[in-house]
Amino acid sequence: MDAREIKEKIFLAVVVILSLAAVLPVFHVFLSVIWNGLGVIMKAGPRFLLDVPPAPNAGLGGIAPSLAGTLLLAVLSSLLGIPLSLFAAVFAVEFPDNPLAKGVRVLSKALLEIPSVVVGMLVYAILVVPMGRFSMLAGALALAIMMIPYVTTYVEQALEGVPFTYREAGFALGLSRPKVVFDIMVGIARRGILTGMLIGFAKVLGETAPLLFTLGRDRYNIPLGPLDYGDSISLLIFDYAQTPYANMHQVAWGAALVLTLMFLAVFLISRRFTEEVFL
Amino acid sequence: MIEEKGYALQIEGLNVWIRGKHIIKGVGLEVPKRRILAVMGPSGSGKSTLLRAINRLIDLIPESRVEGKVLVYGTDVYREDPYRVRRLMGMVFQTPNPFPNMSIYENVAIGPKLNRLVKNKEELDELVKWALEKAMLWDEVKDRLDDPPHRLSGGQQQRLCLARALALKPKLLLLDEPTGNVDPVNAVKIEEALRSLLRDLEITIVLVTHTPHQAVRISDYIAFIYMGELVEFGLTDAIALNPKHELTVKFLRGEV
Ligand SMILES: Nc1ncnc2c1ncn2[C@@H]1O[C@H](COP(=O)(O)OP(=O)(O)OP(=O)(O)O)[C@@H](O)[C@H]1O
Ligand SMILES: [Mg+2]
Repeated sequence: MDAREIKEKIFLAVVVILSLAAVLPVFHVFLSVIWNGLGVIMKAGPRFLLDVPPAPNAGLGGIAPSLAGTLLLAVLSSLLGIPLSLFAAVFAVEFPDNPLAKGVRVLSKALLEIPSVVVGMLVYAILVVPMGRFSMLAGALALAIMMIPYVTTYVEQALEGVPFTYREAGFALGLSRPKVVFDIMVGIARRGILTGMLIGFAKVLGETAPLLFTLGRDRYNIPLGPLDYGDSISLLIFDYAQTPYANMHQVAWGAALVLTLMFLAVFLISRRFTEEVFL
Repeated sequence: MIEEKGYALQIEGLNVWIRGKHIIKGVGLEVPKRRILAVMGPSGSGKSTLLRAINRLIDLIPESRVEGKVLVYGTDVYREDPYRVRRLMGMVFQTPNPFPNMSIYENVAIGPKLNRLVKNKEELDELVKWALEKAMLWDEVKDRLDDPPHRLSGGQQQRLCLARALALKPKLLLLDEPTGNVDPVNAVKIEEALRSLLRDLEITIVLVTHTPHQAVRISDYIAFIYMGELVEFGLTDAIALNPKHELTVKFLRGEV
């Protein structure tokens, strides 16, 4: 081995050690969630997904209303946020010189940075106070505001990544601009667009702060309509981890595992979209 | 002044600027119907830009400006709705660009479908087959119409792009060096396809080519562009026998 090879070996070792040091805490969190959560869920059984939470020091119960809340909120906020994000992105890409489109860009970049608790307060002021109640709708709106800048940015990038020649080919076929955009460009960029949507979806699955002042935290009833109070798994974890009761800590661990698995599922789906190279 | 009868393409005093740069400088020419015009010239002389000025794809290029007149089968291209005039024309680009997310079939079907030119699936199937046959690709792909286009060779992809353009039954076909990035066998196929198009259809072709042999072989007219200017234009036979401009002579000898 000459000096250069030794240097390379040392460099490699340092890189490996440092990257391990960087990912170790993540693994630690991940493993303790799995370890603790699995124990709880094994003990509680499938009822963990079907029951309401327990009273202090009274067994494990379940997280059904919070689970339903998280899923419904993700769907509802996607319904609000994704179409808007799509149009914002198309607008920004298609009319880059339009002052309104520039405004959209700036606003979506600014929203990326906005503290999520502020979004919660904003929705509290514009929706909860006027309506006189917390609601799934208010929670979903807060989440949609969180999601829009992410999805918009991803969709923008996906559309901008489509080579110009396909755009030209579309126009050369005599197609109108909306058809070129929605039937050609969106089709070619669809993987990036879907990935962006899934990332938005995953993002709101775990959000807590925007829901603090909007949702009402009813974790004993499954929300049936957009005007019902609701809860989310993230809020349940946040609240139960702070109680002094051991059984509630356990429920929080179990809920954390459920949430992690939901993330994982979305992650795996989005990987499938990005990995396939062609049809 | 422009006399409309019989001409497929008339260009008068055409100037194009991109970002303030004068790219096409006062080009004028006319091509009768059912003829093939070969456009030649060195790299960067403005051949692709000329094609884009004819079908107004130039509109997509920011900071571009066009002056002059282009008539396609009598339609004043710059006075009509650009989307309508583009439907009179088909274009095949310098590098094959079939839509990567669509199957071979869909690539050909997309134009007629989105332009609502067919009433039902049978008609569409018929049209796709017809276009692929005209592009001399049908026999090679008829058993794998659902394959993605990247499974085709470059030359086959270029013929797929030709079929995509033909499916709209254009009256004027603009071809930007369709054989430039293609092996000789495919190049011959494309040339054959063009000849049979001219024989069977009401169609006129503008073909940008780098190859003097190709131009002489298949064109009726030659236009020679040098740095945006039309330095020579006329019947192919006349130019091949007796080129007037020394640049054309050099180019035909392969020296430019
Ligand atoms: N989109 C554009 N933006 C800026 N300049 C351009 C653009 N398109 C073309 N040009 C310029 O116009 C001139 C002519 O380009 P064009 O592509 O028409 O040449 P060409 O004859 O087709 O060349 P080639 O044989 O290499 O394809 C070049 O100087 C080129 O830089
Ligand atoms: Mg060119």
